[in-house]
Amino acid sequence: MQLPYSWILELVNVDWPAKELADRLTLCGTVANASPFLEEPLDNIVVGQILEIEPIKNTDHLKKAMVSTGSETFQVVCGAPNAAQGQKIIFAKIGAKLKGMGELKKAKLRGVESFGMICSERELGLTDDHSGIMTLDDDAELGMAADEYLGVKDYILKFDLTPNRSDSLSAIGIARDVACLAGKEIKQSKFELQEISEKSSDVVKISIADTSACPRYAARVIRGVRIGSSPWWIKRKLILSGIRPISNVVDITNLVMLETGQPLHAFDFRQFGRREVLVRRAKQGERFTTLDGKEHELTPEVLLITDGEKGVAAAGVMGGLNSEVSSDTADILLESANFDPITVRRSRMKLGISSESSTRFEKGADPNNVTFAMDRAAYLMQQYAGGEILSGIIDCYPEKINPITIDLRPSRVNAILGTDISKERMIIILKMLQFRVKDKETLEVTVPTFRPDIAREIDLIEEIARIEGYEQIPSADRNIGPLYTPLHPNDTFRQLIRTSMTAQGFDEIYSSTLADPKLLTKIEPEKAPIAIMNPIAADFAVLQSSCLYSLLKAISNNFAQRNTDLRIFEVGKAFLRNESATGDLSPVEVDEIGIALSGKSDDQWFGKGRERDFYELKGAIDSFFEFARVPQCIYRPEKHPAFDDSLVFELIINEKRIGFAGLIKNEIVRAFDIKQTVYAAVLDFNIILNSRQPENYYVPLPKFPSAPRALAVIVDETINVADIISKIKEMGGELLEAVELFDLYRGKQVGEGKKSLAFSLVFRSKGRSLENEEVTEIYNNIIEYLKNNFKTEIREG
Amino acid sequence: MPGSNQISAILQQALAAVASSASLKDLEAVDNRYLSRKNGLLTSILKTLKDIPIEERKTFGAAANEARLKLEEAIAQAQEGLRTSKRDSSLDPTLPGISHKIGSIHPITRVIEQICQSFYGMGFTIARGPEIETDYYNFEALNFPPDHPARDMQDTFYVEGGLLLRTHTTPVQVRTLEKSKPPVKIITPGKTFRNEAISTRSYCVFHQVDGFLVDEGVTMADLKGVLVAFCRDFFGEDLKLRFRPSFFPFTEPSAEVDISCFLCGGKGCQLCKYEGWLEILGCGMIDPNVLNNVGYDSEKYTGYAFGMGVERIAMLKYKINDVRLFYENDIRFIRQFR
Ligand SMILES: [Zn+2]
Repeated sequence: MQLPYSWILELVNVDWPAKELADRLTLCGTVANASPFLEEPLDNIVVGQILEIEPIKNTDHLKKAMVSTGSETFQVVCGAPNAAQGQKIIFAKIGAKLKGMGELKKAKLRGVESFGMICSERELGLTDDHSGIMTLDDDAELGMAADEYLGVKDYILKFDLTPNRSDSLSAIGIARDVACLAGKEIKQSKFELQEISEKSSDVVKISIADTSACPRYAARVIRGVRIGSSPWWIKRKLILSGIRPISNVVDITNLVMLETGQPLHAFDFRQFGRREVLVRRAKQGERFTTLDGKEHELTPEVLLITDGEKGVAAAGVMGGLNSEVSSDTADILLESANFDPITVRRSRMKLGISSESSTRFEKGADPNNVTFAMDRAAYLMQQYAGGEILSGIIDCYPEKINPITIDLRPSRVNAILGTDISKERMIIILKMLQFRVKDKETLEVTVPTFRPDIAREIDLIEEIARIEGYEQIPSADRNIGPLYTPLHPNDTFRQLIRTSMTAQGFDEIYSSTLADPKLLTKIEPEKAPIAIMNPIAADFAVLQSSCLYSLLKAISNNFAQRNTDLRIFEVGKAFLRNESATGDLSPVEVDEIGIALSGKSDDQWFGKGRERDFYELKGAIDSFFEFARVPQCIYRPEKHPAFDDSLVFELIINEKRIGFAGLIKNEIVRAFDIKQTVYAAVLDFNIILNSRQPENYYVPLPKFPSAPRALAVIVDETINVADIISKIKEMGGELLEAVELFDLYRGKQVGEGKKSLAFSLVFRSKGRSLENEEVTEIYNNIIEYLKNNFKTEIREG
Repeated sequence: MPGSNQISAILQQALAAVASSASLKDLEAVDNRYLSRKNGLLTSILKTLKDIPIEERKTFGAAANEARLKLEEAIAQAQEGLRTSKRDSSLDPTLPGISHKIGSIHPITRVIEQICQSFYGMGFTIARGPEIETDYYNFEALNFPPDHPARDMQDTFYVEGGLLLRTHTTPVQVRTLEKSKPPVKIITPGKTFRNEAISTRSYCVFHQVDGFLVDEGVTMADLKGVLVAFCRDFFGEDLKLRFRPSFFPFTEPSAEVDISCFLCGGKGCQLCKYEGWLEILGCGMIDPNVLNNVGYDSEKYTGYAFGMGVERIAMLKYKINDVRLFYENDIRFIRQFR
């Protein structure tokens, strides 16, 4: 909502500049922002009058006009179809700056000199209307500065209102807060209706079929109006409030809505064939065209205003095209009603239309403001559209909604806020908010019906805090609640993963976890993903069932940017269906650690880069596990739809699968538009977390020297290093402290299908220095043992 | 059998080697060859003592030791000489050192961890909850009535089975309160979802850190205290804070917290849209309805809650102007954060 600053000043007498007014409102919860309405001042633009006007020969629409500004007369060329002799108009002199046109210069059109311009609303920056020149009231003073005459040297207050504050959706509502902050009264507009003797209740009957959806429906009949344009003061208020002026009758309903917060609707009464109003639910499949020209097929969710037969308005949302006020409308049925917020909300959702009216009803309009608003509008229509007001209101209000009374304990106010506000001050604030207060030990506060948001003691406490100002609440310098609560192991583990992986050179990624089902199905074809019912895009239509998706997506994005050397990880999530549950969706969220690498490390001055490969992936996992005190895992050949069958392992710790690692299938990598190999691992966060070992106790450092030996063997490619090491350990016994592979060689010297492996062995006793001979004996036994167990050739170490 | 002559011969040889050493590395080689404990030429001579007649051992041993000391001194002297000598001109200190690259932690993690650390220091601990939520936990228990306009503030993604993707991490508040006894003092970092069109200013996924405390006698002044402490810790000591009334269904009174713009100090700049203030978090006293919903006596216990958007804070902190960057995972972006 937006309103002109001057409108608020009309209602409350404060001398705060616009910016200050906005700031003060913001600090009491009515967020407002003030900005000048005109971007540029309207210099050299004044009120003028067309003295003479005649068509220019051989042109189809240009006219030559003589314009007087009182003291001077100018010749101008004008193309507006509505320009006529005698009109008061807005005249821009040479040198004026007009919107979108720059500075105005002397011109010559079809040989006729032009010394200025007669302006339309668009050229003045008032509206987008460029259909004709602006015409002014006859009493406009010649030569007066246009911005002064138009009253546009004003500020716009733009409001960002919270959904609970339906009371502030109007100029009076805003003025109430201002009055309260300033300790002043609101100036209510005073008017006197002139009714004719004919009773409106003789002309139309009203009935409500669903009184919970429509607690109150009131109407007046105004006969013989003349539809035309509104006077400038009405237009100005609407324009500055961001609403386009249409015609006097419609403008007045909008103006009064802006002023009072009560939505009104003017019907062309001709169209009420049965001279009655029936408020009822729409029938299933009933057709109805709203005045924006859209045809709707209705359901009973929509509350309909009818003339007893056909629908004439979707209650509280929008009028019907069939009963719209048009240029030849003479008799008006003016509606002022109260509709149930939920009903209006459902109607507007069903219709897919949101309007100024629906916004107000949805947040809760005041049922007891209905007749004031209607009378105000009727009065203005009589003033500015002529017409006669039939006597009386037809008011269908079966159950009056009364103000509620709430008990307020002053001690509770201070207990919640941590303040020391006196009871007297609380009473003053409540009364300024137009609440009635009975001063007892517990205050009895009666809440006006324009504040439907206030129903409990806590609501009143907030009102007191809001008006007193939050800056009055002290900032307590104490720490209450527990002084310390330990972190969950889950959270320390997260930190550990990140420290370990970044230390190894991996970059952390974050993903939306929303996935493209077409790509996801390639990774997890067996697991139907959890679908989003209202996705924003096809590639965000499901939740990822594997962290591999986000890894590949990130690599794909980087590859498209030519970042090809990638090592990334994510502490992410997979969303799965609970497979044990039948039929029913019962989602499971699995925390996953995703690790991926691709590309080649950079060449450096001290060495060449190398292609990222499986061993680097394994090394990263191993180091991470070591860092996090997770036992080293076993790599067991297994299949997985995302990985190439030639290189994929399940990772096992304590006989439990903790995840998969390997080479991503070429077909999948291609589908993600990645043109290089990708190695990846996906690990189960919680299983790994649970297999973490406690911190070690200190082990005394060795006291006796070690005896190192080296051992080289040539074996078949099919033999795993881990198997050889385990045999060496088996035979090495207690005295063998460590075995490590330090060289691997393939080539002609070792022969096809074979590899040469070199191990370093360290022997040590805890209790004595080892003799050379005994080490040699064990060493020889190991060689024998390897020969017996594998087809090996031993090379001297 | 070695004799004293042999010792002096070895010594002369060694001293010559010292003299001809051109670098520390050469000296190290000499040291190794003659003085290595295991098989140095001079040291191993001492090992042959047991083979020498007893009467000669003493002099021989003394000679060997003397030779060793002499050589050690010569090496030390030569080392000193070389150390004070000219720089190794082939060493270029502007060459990159030999190291391996360190990865970067994503800015979202960085901000979440900083926020959590700040609150951890004040006695809060972390709680987490599911991202697929029920309407009850995401809305109803948090005092969002069905068909209430407040629900429009949070455009929701629905998934199969009548479930939804949580629109805030506040449901964790309800889940935690349900299974705890007061006092409860928690922060809840996590991922949240809103069905919003993607632009530079908004994304359909974002992160939030919520926090709350429930105990006897908790007041709004305590809320102010904890947030003032946090904002100063996170954004800087001489920061100004502004609390202004707002609306959240699950708190009452509710407040929005602005901090004075840390870039311009409140004078007005592009970052703060010339307001001088930056909106940083929402907060309030937990609505009695929420406490009643989890079975707490709202007359006895009161509490506060607050929540902030991680991406927004990260954008302000690092001057990031496009929220999509967080989820594109361009490593050139991620690596800017150290
Ligand atoms: Zn600033």
